[in-house]
Amino acid sequence: MKRPNDDSSNLSNTVAIPTDIQFLRLLQIHDSAFPIGTYTQSYGMETYIQEDTIRTKEELIAFCTTFLFQNLVYGDAILIQEAHKAAKGRDVDRLLHLENLCGAIKLAKESRDASVNLGRQFIKTVSPLVEDAFFDEWKNRIAANEIKGHYAILYGIYCAVNNMDAHYAVLSYLFSSVNGIVTNAVRAVPFGQNTGVQAVHLLAEEAVAAAGIVAGLTEADISNNALGIELASMKHEYLHSRLFIS
Amino acid sequence: MVSKVTRRHHNGKLDMVFEPRRGYTRMPHVFQQPPLKASRELYEGSDPTATVFVMESSGGMVAGDRNDITIRLLPGSKARIIQQSALKVYRSHTGETCVQSIDVELEEESRLEWMPEVIIPFADSKFLMETTIHLKKGATLLWGEIIAPGREMRGEVFDFSSLKSMMKIYVEEELLAFDSLRFVPDNLHLNGLGLLEDALYVGSIWLVSEKADEIDLRAIHEAMNVGDGLRAGVTRLAGNAVHCRFLGVNQWRLQQELKRVFSELAALI
Repeated sequence: MKRPNDDSSNLSNTVAIPTDIQFLRLLQIHDSAFPIGTYTQSYGMETYIQEDTIRTKEELIAFCTTFLFQNLVYGDAILIQEAHKAAKGRDVDRLLHLENLCGAIKLAKESRDASVNLGRQFIKTVSPLVEDAFFDEWKNRIAANEIKGHYAILYGIYCAVNNMDAHYAVLSYLFSSVNGIVTNAVRAVPFGQNTGVQAVHLLAEEAVAAAGIVAGLTEADISNNALGIELASMKHEYLHSRLFIS
Repeated sequence: MVSKVTRRHHNGKLDMVFEPRRGYTRMPHVFQQPPLKASRELYEGSDPTATVFVMESSGGMVAGDRNDITIRLLPGSKARIIQQSALKVYRSHTGETCVQSIDVELEEESRLEWMPEVIIPFADSKFLMETTIHLKKGATLLWGEIIAPGREMRGEVFDFSSLKSMMKIYVEEELLAFDSLRFVPDNLHLNGLGLLEDALYVGSIWLVSEKADEIDLRAIHEAMNVGDGLRAGVTRLAGNAVHCRFLGVNQWRLQQELKRVFSELAALI
């Protein structure tokens, strides 16, 4: 029988391992077939593909690594963690602040729109499945146009009301985001299936490292160093032919 | 015993208030503390816009120095502020960070243009700049900024210790845009794909105007003179706002194009 050894996990003892059902719920919402429109977003990658900058597996991994460590870690991932905490404390003012901040840091219009489109699709899809007064209240704010409904914030709230630990919320979000990007690159470049599989296999380790960094960050650490990706996202609006909407 | 040579930090202050008086915008209230200094108002013909030059008489910021600038435009006033020279941030021999804080308040129907000069962080410098702009309804803003990698001609490229820049724009108390750059070259490979890549200079333009919706961004985008080491993009922010970013290999080329787009936008709003 295999025994877990002491160093099998680098998690602190404050992280609650998901229950079986929580684990499956996370798998389901991060499945590429989950209908929130992940397959329509490239977050600027398509501009690089058209400029012929992403041609090899190594270049794809380099792009995803920057997206992961410089964009997601210091942006959405911090916001998920903060939204999760605020939702646990039922702190509406704090969540409204985070919701606003989530839009303000996304300077490129298409990235900002993507965040809202995914958020709205997400809440439409999961709301029949969630019975929680606080979650419903937030959903009503979107319906009443009080808030835009950014995905990172909604996802953080969803995980909090379902008692999923923030660490797993962040980790699975980071992994599924790069997985989505790679899947889209495989279609768009195109790459062979094995190239995509190998890239995701490597990026899984990066996602673990990235989640470790996020755990030590707060709102004060939010930053935007991936200026190349942001610029690509700005230029994407004006590309002549496009497979993706961002 | 090691004696420590202490140097008094410079704490430059500049508080400027603009208001319309008899058809022209005047700056009747200005408080200045060296090394910061403002010129008197200058006018171009019958244009009521007050142009003011901001000067930094010390030649640059040294470890732990602070510059605090506040700019307030009362309703209906129009001002153009031009930095007289590049802002140099010297090596932080004590490990202390230099701070530049700019707070801007634009009241109803006022208009501010802030023309960019280059910020040059020397090798081993530490610099933090915080710019916060509050706009009331009907106020117009056009703001530019250029960050250099160091004294490039001396081979200083991303040799500074840290450069942090935080730009916040609020319209009617709602945060519209938050741009936070944290360049710490020791921990971050700035040339990586998706970061600055081959670029050394970062330029930004921020525009807020009730006429922003009427600007044809595609036309602006297509007219941008890019290539040959310069990349640029333009996007619409939430609300009545536009943002342009420039990433360039060559300072002169980036500066020329940023200023051209700046003037093009200024004429539209």
